[in-house]
Amino acid sequence: MFRKILIANRGEIAVRIIRACREMGIATVAVYSEADKDSLHAMLADEAICIGPASSADSYLNMESLLSATVATKADAIHPGFGFLSENSKFVTLCEKCHIKFIGPPAEVIDRMGNKSAARNTMIEAGVPVVPGSKEPIYDVAVGREIAEKIGYPVMIKAASGGGGKGMRIAHCPEEFDNHFLNAQRESINSFSDDTMYLERYVESPRHIEFQILADEHGNVIHLGERDCSIQRRHQKLVEESPSAAISPELRKEMGETAVRAAKAAGYVNAGTIEFLLDKNNNYYFIEMNTRIQVEHGVTELVTGMDLIKEQIKIAAGEPLEWKQEDIVIQGHAIECRINAENPSKNFMPCPGQITNLHFPGGNGVRIDSAIYSGYQIPPYYDSMIAKLMVYDKDREGAIQKMLSALGEVVVEGVDTNVEFQFEILENKAFQKGDVNTDFIETYFGN
Amino acid sequence: MIRDFLKKRPVRQKAEEQEMEPEIPAGLWKKCNKCGAAIYTEDVIKGHYICPKCKGYFRVHARRRINSIVDEGSFKEWNADMPSSNPLRFPGYEKKLAEVKEKTNLNEAIVTGIGEIDGRKVVLGVMDARFFMGSMGYDVGEKVAAAVERAIEEKLPVILFTCSGGARMQEGIVSLMQMAKTSAALKRHSDAGLLSITVLTDPTTGGVTASFAMLGDIILSEPGALIGFAGPRVIEQTIHQKLPEGFQRAEFLLEHGFLDGIVRREEMKQTLSNLLMLHETNNVCQMPANETKSYKKSGEKIAAWDRVMISRMPERPTGLDYIEAVFTDFIELHGDRYFGDDGAIVGGIARFQGVPVTVIAQQKGKNTKDNIKRNFGMPSPEGYRKALRLMKQAEKFHRPIICFVDTPGAFCGLEAEERGQGEAIARNLYEMSALKVPVLSIFIGEGGSGGALAMAVADEVWMMENAIYSVLSPEGFASILWKDAKKAADAAKVMKITAADLKKLGIIDYIIREEEPATMETMEPICSDISEQIQRFLATYSQKEGEQLAAHRYERFRNM
Repeated sequence: MFRKILIANRGEIAVRIIRACREMGIATVAVYSEADKDSLHAMLADEAICIGPASSADSYLNMESLLSATVATKADAIHPGFGFLSENSKFVTLCEKCHIKFIGPPAEVIDRMGNKSAARNTMIEAGVPVVPGSKEPIYDVAVGREIAEKIGYPVMIKAASGGGGKGMRIAHCPEEFDNHFLNAQRESINSFSDDTMYLERYVESPRHIEFQILADEHGNVIHLGERDCSIQRRHQKLVEESPSAAISPELRKEMGETAVRAAKAAGYVNAGTIEFLLDKNNNYYFIEMNTRIQVEHGVTELVTGMDLIKEQIKIAAGEPLEWKQEDIVIQGHAIECRINAENPSKNFMPCPGQITNLHFPGGNGVRIDSAIYSGYQIPPYYDSMIAKLMVYDKDREGAIQKMLSALGEVVVEGVDTNVEFQFEILENKAFQKGDVNTDFIETYFGN
Repeated sequence: MIRDFLKKRPVRQKAEEQEMEPEIPAGLWKKCNKCGAAIYTEDVIKGHYICPKCKGYFRVHARRRINSIVDEGSFKEWNADMPSSNPLRFPGYEKKLAEVKEKTNLNEAIVTGIGEIDGRKVVLGVMDARFFMGSMGYDVGEKVAAAVERAIEEKLPVILFTCSGGARMQEGIVSLMQMAKTSAALKRHSDAGLLSITVLTDPTTGGVTASFAMLGDIILSEPGALIGFAGPRVIEQTIHQKLPEGFQRAEFLLEHGFLDGIVRREEMKQTLSNLLMLHETNNVCQMPANETKSYKKSGEKIAAWDRVMISRMPERPTGLDYIEAVFTDFIELHGDRYFGDDGAIVGGIARFQGVPVTVIAQQKGKNTKDNIKRNFGMPSPEGYRKALRLMKQAEKFHRPIICFVDTPGAFCGLEAEERGQGEAIARNLYEMSALKVPVLSIFIGEGGSGGALAMAVADEVWMMENAIYSVLSPEGFASILWKDAKKAADAAKVMKITAADLKKLGIIDYIIREEEPATMETMEPICSDISEQIQRFLATYSQKEGEQLAAHRYERFRNM
């Protein structure tokens, strides 16, 4: 086991990791930027080292500073948390060269899963369903029409150089195809001077379902069930829950096994997440793999009774998994709301500043992961998430009631937060019925 | 403070000793000299030895440089085991030389040899700062001279990458003589009609700057390179003044007219390859004589003054627009090699239907900012001197010259007079009259007096239908003759400044029809007319001998 771990991150995830280490009897080194000198993670760790100025590029992304700090404090491993360098294969390689254990997957796995087409091909080979699409570039409408027929409608027509919706059309039936294809292609020629097009099955109003994976260095891979992260605003997750209201035990078993197969195909080690799109007819498609611990890992912990950070550390130390798939029992229901310092009425503009008064809810089945305190100054340089509020109850309905009660107790003065917005989501009838998809926020809040 | 409330439970150390202590292996990082950042060595190597943070350039070892420039496996080194010399029997020098040789695996501060760039053979000399700071002693001079002599024998271009602190102190006066020796060798190479390119890298100073570095037909540099004769420290100590930021850097030299261009390292091979291609001896102008349509008739009657206004319209395409539309592979070359780089004149080498030509244009700006850079198309003496330098270069390499004229007049100002505006214009008339290559001038807008003529002593002069050409502006004419600048429109009428009038007078040879006044949108038919006519021009004049061309040009103006 490691003697000392350096945490290459900040905020609540750094605090979360420091706590896990302390419980395991492992010493911790926090790193902080000049803007974070009064941050909780720097105070809680056994040692704290300043690694550079406020800008992430010079501090939390500064590989040289991080490695030097690790060597100077004689830490034997680095936990990257999420974001920053957590999925940077070059950093992983550098750690290896410096005899420092990176708590996460090997560099080549990060590279393979980070490259969209390589990841897709790996999954196709492993028999994992992916969103059906054209393999070769398409230039001609007649060729496109034929391929669209094979893919199945509705079909998304995408320009290879496209972006911001330009050169993109959805054809719902063959009759629409020619027109949309030609328009999208013309748009792409005009905007990007490129007539290369691709086709992909358009998955209508899907759910975002992700499976938590644990894989050790000895070839054992298990899954810990799913999280439903369909409540997103512009690809930013807001509410996550486990289990998903849409998934039956049979489907969970099937998708879970598929996720394990996907992780094995990727040669995965450590904690990771397989993301799927799930359509109305329960068809699911692999979209990508996250090769790190995730923000929303807590809901999985609540329903499985596991500590994912500790598992990560044990896996990195070479220990085999203690659990087999059949030992994993998903019990009860957990929901997480991300509390952000932002103003929903001003287009969710981040709102840094000083917290003048703070009260968090507590009690049975309520968990807060946060790094803020009363008097804390939220720096403007980083993510605006200030807390993760999680609740656990025997079923979804109970969990929703508990979350509503807990949200009502959150007091953060001095800065704007999205607590009210979260409240509205939880009170939404469709949400309460479990009738959600990735268009939920747009549909009900027009955002 | 919250810190005081937090009680940390001490951690029980229960882990065993690790076999491998974490450590940072030697060589993992390279420190950037410019910004001080530590860069992952592999990123440095992959990124052309450019700092990804500050974009500063790491110095590159000679052999790595060669590998990045020549086609793989094509380089053959010359004089790799030339014995070292100690002409002054300088104590301790031989021992030091032996040490440096051992450490660098080089036998001197320059590696010379022959290689290919995209299949084109070239003689190469590349200096290395690790060897006595790239200083030039007998051996460096000898290797340069020998390489250049061999290039003359084999009729090959030479590319020299310089990097030097100056003369090799241990070799005293002998090292000074290397400046003369290398310069003399390059003179012979140039007289043989061969191309030399020097690429100045950080740092190029002292005796190397004052000899072969500054003698290339084309002088390029890497961004930010220190280039100078006296080093900045020496200057500061001598004049007891702090030198300004950017002094003696490549950008400073470009601005002061001593560089043709600054080329980024990742584009160096491609640039050199293009330059070699443009100087290949076998593509000297052989334009097929195409059948061309007869001269087109000019359009309806537009008053002279209206043509003046049209010729000055800001929407009118500029010299660079025509270069872009009519030619390919344009490489702009900068500087007069004396004082500055005039933005009012752009010039360089391009290809017309595959044939290398020198193009020079008087350039107006498209907006206020651009116009300040271009000085509103009013060339300074350094602009005319740049034009002349490029024309003489064209003559050396047998390239036809095509000039685009568009100027209200030569720049009228204190500085222009100080630097000899009159002399610069006169020199161009004098030299252009006897150029041994075809010269064509095309008036695309304003043709203001001597400032226009200094780029129009040509075998043929063409005008666009709405261009003008005059001894001075109609406003100036009216104020001198009638003491009233407001009578400019009347002046325009009597001055005979339109293309049609000048054609009648025999001043110009061809009128380029403008269906509607030229703009970026309407220039396509104009450009195809220009292209067609250039083809006819080149087919006619490229067949003539140099002496014949000069004689023809002499007669053309003798009769005016």
